[in-house]
Amino acid sequence: MRRPRLPLILTAVVLAVAFCAILIADFGFTGPASTSVERFVGAAERAGAVNMVSAIYLNVRLFDTLLEVLVFAVAVLGVRFYLTARGRPEAVEKIPESRVVGVAADVLLPLILLVSVYVTIHGHLSPGGGFSGGVIAGSGLLLAAMVAGTDAVDRRLGGRFLGRVEWAALLGVFVLASVPVALGRTPLSDLLPAGTPGAIGSGGSILLYNMLIGLKVFIGSWVIVKHFVDHRGEI
Amino acid sequence: MSALPVILGLLPIAAAFALTRRRRLDAIIGMAVFSLLLASAFFLLHAPDVAITEAAVGAALVTFIYVLAIRKTGRLTVVASEVPGLIERAGGQITGFEYEILERLAGRLGLDLVVQFVAREEIEDILLRGDADLGAGGILSDSDHRLLWAPPHLPTARFVIASRGPAAAVTEPVPFRGYVADTIDAVRRRSTLCMTVDLARFLAISRQNLDAYDVRRIEEDAETYAFVLGRSRGDLHRQLSALIVSLRASGDLDEMARRHFP
Repeated sequence: MRRPRLPLILTAVVLAVAFCAILIADFGFTGPASTSVERFVGAAERAGAVNMVSAIYLNVRLFDTLLEVLVFAVAVLGVRFYLTARGRPEAVEKIPESRVVGVAADVLLPLILLVSVYVTIHGHLSPGGGFSGGVIAGSGLLLAAMVAGTDAVDRRLGGRFLGRVEWAALLGVFVLASVPVALGRTPLSDLLPAGTPGAIGSGGSILLYNMLIGLKVFIGSWVIVKHFVDHRGEI
Repeated sequence: MSALPVILGLLPIAAAFALTRRRRLDAIIGMAVFSLLLASAFFLLHAPDVAITEAAVGAALVTFIYVLAIRKTGRLTVVASEVPGLIERAGGQITGFEYEILERLAGRLGLDLVVQFVAREEIEDILLRGDADLGAGGILSDSDHRLLWAPPHLPTARFVIASRGPAAAVTEPVPFRGYVADTIDAVRRRSTLCMTVDLARFLAISRQNLDAYDVRRIEEDAETYAFVLGRSRGDLHRQLSALIVSLRASGDLDEMARRHFP
């Protein structure tokens, strides 16, 4: 018997509801003028983010980003599904790495993770954001996996629990995006105040989106790397 | 900005480099260079967000995944029993007649050649398990139907080396099984032996003093060396057979044999 996958089902339901709510509701975009540059620049400035790019993709055009996160989630799901179906080779022989890799990993891994966190939480102030920050951290874990092996790194990160966090982060992004609808506001309008441009707490909910997306992309890219290592090669 | 035209000019060069490489690792490095150039171009075009993402995804993550994916498929894994002249380690390098053929095969297929040296008796088991692509190192072609045999590449002969004395006379000679270095050691220590060895191994052993042994050539059979592959390596078997046939037709095979067995 397969046990019910509650987080998965919950995610699916919330995604479907949010998607329908967004589709049915009025977007607030009226006519061709809505796509003009001035409108975006003005909206981005109102969002209170110094980095205008993140103000656009996490505020004015959040809808695009939501579906992009979904595309990434489906890609990770595909890798997981097809590589797991291929089966795991019996004894994966670990190629011994030289001491240089071990020492370099000790020095570099904390730095990589620090950069990744910085890039993620400063997404509204400087170039970067959840997508790039998550990928940086996910690739950084590959360095740890080269030294300790994927299974050891996966255990350290919590194994199966990690998968739930990934879906919870995805769920969080969509819940955060649907809350304005529930509160009777314009769909996809920002919940939090713009704040003082330049401060870490500015830019409305862009920081929250970046953190959730960063978490999701971090776990997702680690899952991709881990599955390729486990099922396609040795490390 | 004067750097931008340079980068834009380098982009198609990097792309062409990646596309034209036969060796997979070279192609992946070409793609990583392309990604870095593209990231720089994005940066110079005032799109730092896109540049960061391009660098993190294109130059780092995708490159890692490709490297992992080719770690098995990009290699031609050979298990060999070391035989002087055919395939041997000499000064940190591998040389020999068979190694030269394998190098040409790997070059033609764009694969990295990886040789693992094992005892002669282990080769068939490793190939049957599918842990290596190809077996080499003075293997006499025979009719083991569990494996695929490439066409013979070199004629050889078999010799019986037997210790002198009444005890050895009644023993049936056993085929050579272990490491040739161990056998040379045994000859040096004048241990009791009764085995059949092939020509290349016999040449290596006969550099020792064989006074304590009776040596005779087995006249009846015309033996040949051949490469052996696992049953699932049909495609590789076809490529290798075509290579050996073409090397024989062009006379390269004879030239290589003369070079390694003067």
